[in-house]
Amino acid sequence: MSELKDCPALKYYDFKPVEHGRVCPRYTAVLGRSDDDGIGIEELDTLQLELETLLSSASRRLRALEEQRQILTDWQDKKGDKRFLKLGKEADLSATPRHSKPKKPKVDGKGSHGPGPGPGRPKSKNLQPKISEYEFNEDPQDMPRNPKNDAPNRFWASVEPYCADITNEEIRVLEELLKPPEDEAEYYKVPALGKHYSQRWAQEDLLEEQRDGARANDKKKGIMGPLSELDAKDVDALLKKSESQHDPPEDGCPFGPLTQRLLQALVEENIISPMEDSPIPDVPVKDSANDGASTSPRSQGKAFSVPHTRSLEARIKEELVSQGLLDTEDRPGTGGDSEDEVLAELHKRQAELKALSAHNRTRKQDLLRLAREETRKQELRQRVRVSDNEVMEAFRRIMAARQKKRTPTKKEKDQAWKALKERDSILKLLDG
Amino acid sequence: MALVSADTKISELLTELHQLIKQTQEERSRSEHNLLNIQKTHERMQTENKTSPYYRTKLRGLYTTAKADAEAECSILRHALDKIAEIKSLLEERRIAAKMAGVYSDSDPPRKTMRRGVLMTLLQQSAMTLPLWIGKPGDSPPPLCGAMPANSDYVAKPGDKVAARVKAVDGDEQWILAEVVSYSHSTNKYEVDDIDEEGKERHTLSRRRIIPLPQWKANPETDPEALFSKDQLVLALYPQTTCFYRALIHTPPHRPQDDYFVLFEDTSYADGYSPPLNVAQRYVVACKENKKK
Repeated sequence: MSELKDCPALKYYDFKPVEHGRVCPRYTAVLGRSDDDGIGIEELDTLQLELETLLSSASRRLRALEEQRQILTDWQDKKGDKRFLKLGKEADLSATPRHSKPKKPKVDGKGSHGPGPGPGRPKSKNLQPKISEYEFNEDPQDMPRNPKNDAPNRFWASVEPYCADITNEEIRVLEELLKPPEDEAEYYKVPALGKHYSQRWAQEDLLEEQRDGARANDKKKGIMGPLSELDAKDVDALLKKSESQHDPPEDGCPFGPLTQRLLQALVEENIISPMEDSPIPDVPVKDSANDGASTSPRSQGKAFSVPHTRSLEARIKEELVSQGLLDTEDRPGTGGDSEDEVLAELHKRQAELKALSAHNRTRKQDLLRLAREETRKQELRQRVRVSDNEVMEAFRRIMAARQKKRTPTKKEKDQAWKALKERDSILKLLDG
Repeated sequence: MALVSADTKISELLTELHQLIKQTQEERSRSEHNLLNIQKTHERMQTENKTSPYYRTKLRGLYTTAKADAEAECSILRHALDKIAEIKSLLEERRIAAKMAGVYSDSDPPRKTMRRGVLMTLLQQSAMTLPLWIGKPGDSPPPLCGAMPANSDYVAKPGDKVAARVKAVDGDEQWILAEVVSYSHSTNKYEVDDIDEEGKERHTLSRRRIIPLPQWKANPETDPEALFSKDQLVLALYPQTTCFYRALIHTPPHRPQDDYFVLFEDTSYADGYSPPLNVAQRYVVACKENKKK
């Protein structure tokens, strides 16, 4: 290796002492003083710093000298030692002396050095990683770490969408939203009234029984032959028959609701008696018995199988409509089934839907209007930015001219004025 | 009376210091010759580009002498620095005594509140004159030198500057720069004064809430391991304030009088950290808290 020729470890340090005259003025000044003059308290701080500088340099020199001298000693003692030393040095640097005292230098056996600077000690700086690692291991909290503080980034990222410029894309989406949906009409349709569930269930029951019967018939073939012929058609007919029988007394009154209401109104108008509400049940009962249906329909419902109730109801309705007391739209169902809860609910919900979608539409329109306005402003702002740059450009040009000690040319001035005016006009537009 | 005797003591010490400084220079001029010799030998060896046994022996002799010289110089410099420290501690004692007197007798002259600028300058000054620790070869830096933490049973003395975690009026916890007034061994609690006298507050805090500030600067040239390393999380005194905030070391000092450059955690900057600001070694302490609060 190279040490055969020369000793590479010798650094030929520059051991020049500190030029105190230059580096330590206070120290130099104090040196020049007589004993009587002494040192002032106020000089202590500066002196301290300068002495520290001197001491620092002296102790660095001391360390370097010790190291170099050791190299020479070892080298002289034995050439082979050199390699040994090198190994020791490397081991020192690469080994991680966790939980242990700093490794004793391998060559320590040869004596003559304290526990600190081993003979293989390279430049003092190189030893530092080892020591620092050793020291910091005592307190893992002191280990270097780099906590990335990205909270602000996350925050700004979350705010960003609300502050960003409005794009054409977004306006298009808004316009798209404003178009009434195709299936809108669907929600306002009132589906035709189906069969009443009681009828449907009756029919189903009947069919089921028929099937059961048919099965029984299969067993006793021939005996009840004709009955098995009974099919769906017959079921319908059967049901219709029974229906027509107990159709009228649906709520125990043969009169339509309008008729009832009208009569009720008339009756109540007739009885102005203050006893109306008094707890004498006989009076209304008697009255109602005469007028029929309105108050005690159930008990006497059957007795009033009055003909023409339907036509009466229709006429009353017609009359009311023509008098303007009743709205035709008010009662859309052909059958005049205004008491239908399902229908009422449906109407209610549809009305709600209508109101809500109307509200939404106005909102969307507002939004679209605002967005358009904003895009206009954005354009203006963009232009302001451009003209800001122009103004700055002009400013720079004029400043450059000033620096060169020449008056700005007419062209430059004009340009500057033009840029300023343009910017002003855009700003006015933006404000207005 | 005590003050008078302290005064004479101080002037005596100053005279001794003067002597020491003169001796230092004698020592230095004596070793200068030898150092020059070494330099010349170096040059000659390098030009000849080989190390003959003669040169080796010669160099070794020179080194040995120079080493002895350097040791002598170091020892006398240490002596001088000790003197300075002694004088300073006397001055400090006097200051504390005066302060105590001020506290106990409110009557005559009321404690003047310092102007903020003056306070800041004082803090800077005290940071700059924090003694530099220069060990002999083989010495490892003591506790409270630079980044070296105090021993677990360390008790800060009255007058020592510490970082103290106090609860502000609004309930926020803050690390402030404070001065120890007393320590009670029975309760394990410190009494500390907010250094910013505007506050004029005295806090009683458990020792967990106190971090003693370094008492020596670590010398980056000889003991870089006693400095905080890059990217380490620390508490550092924000410039022109008396509060410590969490920060990352950006660059450790390179020379004894250098400051750290630290990046304070600061959400008003895009990346969450302030640009590098310099903070003296004295006002940078290890941050014990974990990231989670």
